[in-house]
Amino acid sequence: MKRLLIVFLTVFLTSVFAYADKHVNLGDRASELKEEGKSEDIHPDLKEIRIMHPNFLMHKRDKTLRQGIRTKRNSLKACVNCHSATDQNDEFMPIDQSGQFCSTCHQKVGTSLDCFSCHRNTPKEDL
Amino acid sequence: MSIIRYEQTQGKSLGFYALIAGLGAFILAALGSVYFMEHNGHHVTGMSNRIVWGLPHVFALFLIVAASGALNIASIASVFNKKIYKPLSRLSGLVALALLAGGLMVLVLDLGRPDRLIVAMTEYNFNSIFAWNIILYNGFFVIVGVYLWMMFERRMNKYSRKVGIAAFTWRLILTTGTGSIFGFLVARQAYDAVIMAPMFVIMSFAFGLAFFVLVLMASYKWTQRPLGDAIVNRLSNLLGVFVAAVLYFVAVYHLGNLYLAENAGVESFILMDGGIYTQLFWYGQIVLGGVVPLALLYSPATKGNRSMLGLASVLIILGGIAQLYVIIIGGQAYPMELFPGKEMLEGYGGIAAYTPTLAELMLGLGGIAVALIAIAYLVKFLPFLPESLADDVADPHHKN
Amino acid sequence: MDKCQTSIQKNKNLSRRDFIKTTATTAGVATIATGITLTTYVNAAGENPVTNEKRWGMLIDTNKLTEVDIDDMVNACQEEQGWGNEAHSTGNQKAGWIKKVKVKDKATDRISNLALMCQHCDQPPCVDVCPTNASMKREDGIVLVDRHLCIGCRYCMMACPYDARSFVHEALTDQKEHMPRGKGTVEACTMCVHKVDKGEKPACVEAVDSDAVIFGDLHDPTSKINQTLKRVQSTQIRADLNLNTGVRYSGI
Repeated sequence: MKRLLIVFLTVFLTSVFAYADKHVNLGDRASELKEEGKSEDIHPDLKEIRIMHPNFLMHKRDKTLRQGIRTKRNSLKACVNCHSATDQNDEFMPIDQSGQFCSTCHQKVGTSLDCFSCHRNTPKEDL
Repeated sequence: MSIIRYEQTQGKSLGFYALIAGLGAFILAALGSVYFMEHNGHHVTGMSNRIVWGLPHVFALFLIVAASGALNIASIASVFNKKIYKPLSRLSGLVALALLAGGLMVLVLDLGRPDRLIVAMTEYNFNSIFAWNIILYNGFFVIVGVYLWMMFERRMNKYSRKVGIAAFTWRLILTTGTGSIFGFLVARQAYDAVIMAPMFVIMSFAFGLAFFVLVLMASYKWTQRPLGDAIVNRLSNLLGVFVAAVLYFVAVYHLGNLYLAENAGVESFILMDGGIYTQLFWYGQIVLGGVVPLALLYSPATKGNRSMLGLASVLIILGGIAQLYVIIIGGQAYPMELFPGKEMLEGYGGIAAYTPTLAELMLGLGGIAVALIAIAYLVKFLPFLPESLADDVADPHHKN
Repeated sequence: MDKCQTSIQKNKNLSRRDFIKTTATTAGVATIATGITLTTYVNAAGENPVTNEKRWGMLIDTNKLTEVDIDDMVNACQEEQGWGNEAHSTGNQKAGWIKKVKVKDKATDRISNLALMCQHCDQPPCVDVCPTNASMKREDGIVLVDRHLCIGCRYCMMACPYDARSFVHEALTDQKEHMPRGKGTVEACTMCVHKVDKGEKPACVEAVDSDAVIFGDLHDPTSKINQTLKRVQSTQIRADLNLNTGVRYSGI
């Protein structure tokens, strides 16, 4: 029941934005990949990832945490690695910071973004 | 028997608004404390990894325990068919719901992630006493709500006894569940005792009735409605019996613990050399919360005196809070026995320190304020209180 | 190889899935020959759910373990998991996933030093009491907190007989990528599950040079931990509670 409700609400809220083709701040690595024309290898269907990413992440988190399945697909680390942007000092800015990849949309649709109260919000130290 | 007429309180006097304003101030302070605690994290409280449940839990559990006890008056009327308590049934249900709401508010707002309350309502682990308690609390709201409806709605009056029995059963299970939160903690010497569950039931009788007596006397005094001695004296006697029963259970609990060598340490901590916990136990719980109220309720000099009954009720409540403080915080402060037969030199052990902060106190008091403000408002909007509880109304056989 | 297969068959009735698994196991054994390497082989892929054929455990020999070793273990854990530098928490509010504990026998005055962390019980009280299923045990015996579901009620900390869990008392930033931690939730030793799933050993085990700390699969008769436990006298802390801990001690 709860799952259905979440699916419904996310679909409802995000479908409006899922069709816009532009994103203000894609992040450094993701921008590069897009320029190289490789972004479709990762996200074949932009609409899908925009609407369904909360479900993908939720599904993935349970598998990883509870069953030890550690595949790269839909891993939050991978999201952060590609979609983080650097500032003028060449340091990564937190992805949930205002104006950055996650928060631009989340602020627009007014949904809370709870991942980064625990998860690291920048790529790994040595990247 | 004359017909009991229920009527809303006026709720327009200066006194009423002063009361609401005062309680409102406490609630605002509580909300401020919650913001402070949740914004900064629990490091601004006195709680730690050793004292994981602090003062808010003391208040929360006190209110929850008292809530189920406050329903007793209605149960005595419906389940045990004592007619004299019948006019008090509606108020009894109201006080029960209000206290539970206050207690749960404190409990929820002290969570590490109160924003995830929805998780607690959707993810259940049926092995967890805590999860059972969540169901029991929610069920209590529903059952007592239905019970009140049966009592208010004339057409439904005929079902009120049946629902009353259900509510009584439910509340017994509920307090058993609350006591079992502690009773089933095998690791901690202070808690691992099945007697915790019935002891909490008896505690609920005493705390709930004390709270009810205060609410009853205050609301009749402030609304200038007649409240006869017949009913008050009965409540007073009942209160005395409950307080004595609590003392009995406390004695059995500690004697039982003392008999087991493994619990000797924690017992001598609570009873003899536990500093604040020992003082709270003897002076707070036993003397102020037990012996003095019993003397006030039964000694010929003070028996039948309303002020003394009020004082006794206040002392029972304070003693009850002291008792839960000793159980919850004292029980955690004493270290667990990790290596029986060995002395812990480093790394763990010792008595854990705990100094409650103002924020924790205000959150706890806010719970009481929420309960009282709910009662004050609801008696204004719905006819909970009989317009008279004079002796000839409440008890036609009463002889002056 | 045969032994492995029959023991599995003995343990449960084979479902179709189990059959496939067993076949895969057999293939694995055939290719790589020993059970220990097999572990690495299957998990390195990280594509299959962990199963209860394994039970991860640790054996700590307090006779061999020096105080320096214990300090190394604590430091390695802090380094790996990123706890211990909470800025605002004081005293007992600070996280403590692994602790150095010193005990003295009341009769003989003999002193033992040991490292105390989550004991990864088979019957964990923390899992029993958790209202939201956030406290959980993986099939392979590792006890974890699912911080996605944790509401911070701290009942698990009341229930844990080992004082193994910590509550995060303040907001955190700059967490380790593999170890999310956050304000208002409960945490404890994860037996370095992120490393174990890659076929590596927990950080604290790696930090000790000698064989004072042995990590491995308790069920696997060819593993060092299994063989050592068969040979030496060992104990569980609070064995009276019958929790069947994954962490065992010898020499106390």
